[in-house]
Amino acid sequence: MKSNLFLQSVSPVKTADDLPLLKVRGLTKRYGQKQILDIDKLDLYAGQAVLLSGKNGAGKSTLMKILAGIERYNEGSLYYKEDRNKEDQARHQRFLQFSFLRKKLSLSNGIIYLHQHPFLFDISVRDNLAYGLKCQRMAKKQQAQIVQKALNWSGLEHLADRNAKTLSGGEMQRIALARAWVLDPKLLLLDEPTANMDTESREQTSFLIRRLINQGTGVVICSHETKPDNRLIDRVLHLDNGKLIESSRAELNQTRSPDNETSLPKTRAAIKPCKDLL
Amino acid sequence: MGDLTQTSLEALLLLVTGDTELWSIIRVSFSTTLKAILLATPVAFLISFILSIARFPGRWFLISLFNTLLGVPTVIVGLLLYLLLSRSGPFGDLRLLFTEPAMILGQILIALPLLVAMGLAAFEGADRRAWETTRTLGAGPVRAMLTLMYEVRFGLAAAGTAAYGRIISEVGCAMMVGGNILNYTRTIPTAIALETSKGEFAQGIALGMVLLLLALGLNFGVSIMQRRGEIY
Amino acid sequence: MKHLEHLVYKIIKAIPLTALLCSLLLVGISAHAATLRLATTTSTYNSGLLDYLIPDFEQHQGTQVQVIAVGTGKALRMGQSGDVDLVLVHAPKAEIQFVAQGHGVDRIGIMYNDFVIIGPPSDPAQVKNLKNATEALSRIAASQSLFVSRGDDSGTHKKERSLWKDITRPRESIWYREAGQGMGKVLQISNELDAYTLVDRGTWLAYKNKLNLKLLVEGDKRLHNPYSVIRVNPEKYADLNHKDAMAFSRWLASAEVQQKIAEFKVAGEQLFVPSAD
Repeated sequence: MKSNLFLQSVSPVKTADDLPLLKVRGLTKRYGQKQILDIDKLDLYAGQAVLLSGKNGAGKSTLMKILAGIERYNEGSLYYKEDRNKEDQARHQRFLQFSFLRKKLSLSNGIIYLHQHPFLFDISVRDNLAYGLKCQRMAKKQQAQIVQKALNWSGLEHLADRNAKTLSGGEMQRIALARAWVLDPKLLLLDEPTANMDTESREQTSFLIRRLINQGTGVVICSHETKPDNRLIDRVLHLDNGKLIESSRAELNQTRSPDNETSLPKTRAAIKPCKDLL
Repeated sequence: MGDLTQTSLEALLLLVTGDTELWSIIRVSFSTTLKAILLATPVAFLISFILSIARFPGRWFLISLFNTLLGVPTVIVGLLLYLLLSRSGPFGDLRLLFTEPAMILGQILIALPLLVAMGLAAFEGADRRAWETTRTLGAGPVRAMLTLMYEVRFGLAAAGTAAYGRIISEVGCAMMVGGNILNYTRTIPTAIALETSKGEFAQGIALGMVLLLLALGLNFGVSIMQRRGEIY
Repeated sequence: MKHLEHLVYKIIKAIPLTALLCSLLLVGISAHAATLRLATTTSTYNSGLLDYLIPDFEQHQGTQVQVIAVGTGKALRMGQSGDVDLVLVHAPKAEIQFVAQGHGVDRIGIMYNDFVIIGPPSDPAQVKNLKNATEALSRIAASQSLFVSRGDDSGTHKKERSLWKDITRPRESIWYREAGQGMGKVLQISNELDAYTLVDRGTWLAYKNKLNLKLLVEGDKRLHNPYSVIRVNPEKYADLNHKDAMAFSRWLASAEVQQKIAEFKVAGEQLFVPSAD
């Protein structure tokens, strides 16, 4: 009830072509009898940085997985951008029992979900980075080039030939980010990317996330902390009792610290490369 | 006691001197079981993979069905196959009874539930995140499955080894549908049963040694694989 | 891996219970007072003759008779190692050797029946109505028709080998299949493979309604099949049930039981001809 009001009163920052990347309508998700999610309306745009806050167990991860297309939901519809011509064809996954056989998943829509503790395959870091490219049947040579770029981008060249399972949590998170980066996603769904990390790892991971945002990648970061990293966030969504509440722009602006006012994400003021952090 | 050592020595002699009958039995044993395991494994792992990933009505029924089949004695499998393949049975025209294909079929049926159950355990032991990660990175179902299989390869190898150990030492079904015919369907376990019934223990012991050695090797392999699987 | 361990754990947990059940079973078996263990051939046992005779003996003597049906080779081996009290077998040469080596005593001929050669109705080797068993086997070999051998060192197998002796037959010929199983199983295999085989008349009569095979050769003297009872040597194994073994072999040779053997019929045909003096 409250969420409706906010969603209608707030018009989010729009991208160039003004069409939402992802439209959610009337989405519900239940585990048994328990209702986890009940979302009337949510539009996500490319290039936006969104903070999804909410208590532990509020259903943030479930929502993100549903948005990424790797978790089923009970009712409602998800429309991806390329569906605009066939919007009436609601996707009732409810009946798609064999949905795991569907070929078309989040990636074709440019959406990638990253776990809180990312899962790296039991192969070298280099092969992990190449995984998504291999799925696209890209030529080996081209793969190697892009992977090398990703290693540079994330500052992880020294780990390139290590087995990914032997790395620390912080290193894994950065590799997961680089592994998504090579696929040039429109929207990244990050599930508490810096939780349970020491300060150094947290800084290094945040640095990569900032780089992604500055490159214009849309990002949804979820966190159980309610205070967002204001410098980067365009929009705050709060998940409570299964409902989404969008913070008003005024509210958001108030919480923004004045010195960062000029470097609002949409202005994309260059962030100084923080090589020293890596 | 003296009898035992003497026959054991005779057995060793048979093995070393390359007794043609003995080695024909060993050859038949390995050729049938290897064919059976090669045919059964892909099907079984596909089933266990689908059971671990997909959620559909009847999934629990299928899982309990395979767990139940796990406990079915091999002679029951043999009996069923016998009735199906015998000339008065529905598939009698295929003339498969007492041939190698019939025995392979029996071994597949015996191996399948074990492979499915242990494969399912391996896949379910895999991290749910592994599947979600492959999918979100754009892998199709087939590639995602292969990736997942690689992630749980030790568990799957253990399943394959256990199933192989089961069919190569299986006597009830092999005897019933194979018929224990020398050079055709006489395998190590059925030959041991026969040699004992003849009162000829030396060849029985020689074959037993081969089987024991194999079982030892397989179990050793399984425990190494399980240990390597636990490192991560 | 957890699931796998759990599976293994469950199996291990089941072992003590199984062991308990097995031991209960063993106790149950050994609880019976006087028992007599008789090793005999599968062909005798399958004919149903012993089930027809033995209850009388058990009632009369108050002893339970345990019949162990195996091939003649195994039966003699069991007698040799003192696993049974007496044997009822049909392999004269092996029997004489058994007694000569001091494993058994008191060999008594009880009865005889005969072997027959059976085969597919189409009879590709053209052996029907031959009166000469060796001639029949040479025709089977010459036409390379499938022949299933017991191959288990049983009395029937010994008889078959003695018949083949005069015929040249390559050992690994593809038409000659050694099954290594009991008579009933060999009949089933021959039936499935459309093959010839040698069978004792008793088992043949018991099975013939279930088979497509036809009786082709009978009546040759060489197909004669004598049964004898031999007690295990009491000097070798003093702790066996020699009293009942003696009683049983005497009883089999008695006029009353010999009469009953002559009256025993399968499918309306007499199976055994009594031969004790």
